[in-house]
Amino acid sequence: MNERQSVLAANDPIISVRNVTAGYGDEIIIRDISFDVFAGEIFSILGRSGCGKTTLFKVMTGLLEPVEGAVVIDGEEIRAGESAQTGSVLKKVGVTFQSGALFTSMTLAENAAFPLRLHTRLPADTIERIVKLKLSEVGLEGFEELLPAELSGGMRKRAALARAMALDPKILFFDEPFAGLDPVTSATLDETILKINRSLGTTMVIVTHELASILRTADRVIMLDREEKGIIAQGSPQELRDKSDDPRVRDFFNRSASGPDSNEKSP
Amino acid sequence: MITVDLPGKNKANPKTTDRSGAGGSAGDAPNLGPSEFALDIHEKTFDELSLVLRGRLWVENAEEVRAALMRAVEHEPLKNVVVDLSEIDYIDSSGAAVLMELHRKCREMNNMLKLARAGPSVRRFLDLVDFDHFKDKPILRPRAAPPLLVQIGGGAERIYHTVQDIIMFIGAASIALYEDLRHPRQAKWDPLWKLIERSGSDAVPIVAILSFLMGAILAFQAAIQLRKFGANVFVADLVSVSICLEMGPLLAAIIVAGRSGAAYAAHIGAMQVTEEVDALRLMGVDPIRYLVSPRIVAVGLTLPCLTIFADIVGILGGCVVSVFALDLTPITYFNQVGRVLEVSDVVKGLIKSFAYGVEIAAIGCLRGFQVRGGAESVGQATTSAVVTSVFVLTVTDAIFAMFYHYTRFL
Ligand SMILES: Nc1ncnc2c1ncn2[C@@H]1O[C@H](COP(=O)(O)OP(=O)(O)OP(=O)(O)O)[C@@H](O)[C@H]1O
Ligand SMILES: [Mg+2]
Repeated sequence: MNERQSVLAANDPIISVRNVTAGYGDEIIIRDISFDVFAGEIFSILGRSGCGKTTLFKVMTGLLEPVEGAVVIDGEEIRAGESAQTGSVLKKVGVTFQSGALFTSMTLAENAAFPLRLHTRLPADTIERIVKLKLSEVGLEGFEELLPAELSGGMRKRAALARAMALDPKILFFDEPFAGLDPVTSATLDETILKINRSLGTTMVIVTHELASILRTADRVIMLDREEKGIIAQGSPQELRDKSDDPRVRDFFNRSASGPDSNEKSP
Repeated sequence: MITVDLPGKNKANPKTTDRSGAGGSAGDAPNLGPSEFALDIHEKTFDELSLVLRGRLWVENAEEVRAALMRAVEHEPLKNVVVDLSEIDYIDSSGAAVLMELHRKCREMNNMLKLARAGPSVRRFLDLVDFDHFKDKPILRPRAAPPLLVQIGGGAERIYHTVQDIIMFIGAASIALYEDLRHPRQAKWDPLWKLIERSGSDAVPIVAILSFLMGAILAFQAAIQLRKFGANVFVADLVSVSICLEMGPLLAAIIVAGRSGAAYAAHIGAMQVTEEVDALRLMGVDPIRYLVSPRIVAVGLTLPCLTIFADIVGILGGCVVSVFALDLTPITYFNQVGRVLEVSDVVKGLIKSFAYGVEIAAIGCLRGFQVRGGAESVGQATTSAVVTSVFVLTVTDAIFAMFYHYTRFL
């Protein structure tokens, strides 16, 4: 455990996932999962495709009612189906979805301004400044007046990030923020994520496969597995990469982390 | 020009102190509440204005901080404005926006703004901010409406493209349908039975209710007039002929336009948005043949069936009113219907309703394919599918009326 991690672990948990079992209909996808996310931490959820990362993500953001267990965010239990108007927890949370979910009838700037207009009483020119700030943080200056349909996939992804960050929420949830981004943009985004985390103390929960980004940004990760329906490993990404005995964890880190020679092993 | 200094420089010597704070508890005591801030103003030398910000600078108080800062620099042109940030506990984007506004204001007044003694986290955050952004053009203002002439031109161009779309669509759909009907074995279709079920049998209850009411209303209105002449029995003539020739086909068609036409526009529109239509095309399936042909066939078949049903239930509705309001017996009513209603009347109505069905399905699909962009466009397509259908139905009805009259058809 490095110094930063021990400092963070001394913080109170801002998100507690308690014995959560979740699934769709009768099909259980994750079973009896518990973990804490500490305030100010960058927390990553890893796992192979289809292992239930998005499902866990939906439970944590209150989009899916868990079959059993509860999720407590900042002292309040979140409930599925609660809106940001009634549920004060959700105001502290910014979310991006795997598919982007930008409003297609609004320009990028309007998309990013939407939560500000909804939840603050700031005057129009302050909102405009914040929107410009946020869009330039994700490298989208100059595209403010385009509609989502007029953008590339990666640009939509970044615009969704800008919208999620608009209110400088205490907690940011990202589902696959790096998918579809080129390495340089991903690295810039890493940088932005780190800067925001270090300067505002924002807690971040990131679902991703992007190993380089995980190693650069994440303080702690958990890894889910499809057969196990639960957590198979947790710790700092470096620890998992270098010290794990679990072949599933080693595979995950090595296949993509150790360059072209490991590709021969894959079928 | 803006500089962010490290903490430790610029020791300010307070001369005058002005306070403002959201909680009113601001002042010498540094323990401010979580949503509070304080602004101390020190006039250090004749050409330097020193401001000390304390507390939190965030979305909850950005407006007040801004007002306070603006007040502080308002009447102080040609100075060095130094803002001491060492006692800021927390700053977020709206705080940064306020500082940007201050920067703009200072420039306007020919002041030099200097942000001094920012703590490490504030500094790191402010590094993200590009203070020259305000020069850019506005991005959130609604765009000014173009001049009238341009709007007219744009409108004409849109109409041209719409007409072009429609003609191309009719061409493509006719060819597709012709090919499919000639070689039905090779046709790759969206499952036809499901479409028939959705557009036909699922519509039966609402068609039944509305046509029953329609028949009853017609009978009732007719009864009021006909009673004066003691011609009660002619209610049956009026109801049966107008239901079979006009009301039945039209009513069923309008219901189907509202249900299936709108559904097709929304469905195909959403497929267009999510690139499903492109995916079909790249898998070697002609989207028109796959999506449009079965829908035209389905509605073309089901609408005449719904129409027959509407005719029967409508006449029944008339019967119920006649029995209760006009003291006719059901037997006299139906005898009269049998005497006056000819098979050709019913057939004429059914031919019409077949044409309506083809039109409704084609318009729904056309509007779906015209969707560009996103959710809003899907909404427009759905609306315009229904509106266009109702318009085209009415025009078609008029054409059929003249056709039947002048050709003495049947
Ligand atoms: N709405 C749904 N209804 C039923 N089953 C679902 C639903 N969404 C996901 N599933 C199932 O849940 C399992 C986990 O899906 P999930 O989306 O959580 O995976 P994931 O870990 O996010 O994968 P990826 O990395 O590919 O995004 C999958 O087997 C999937 O079939
Ligand atoms: Mg997922």
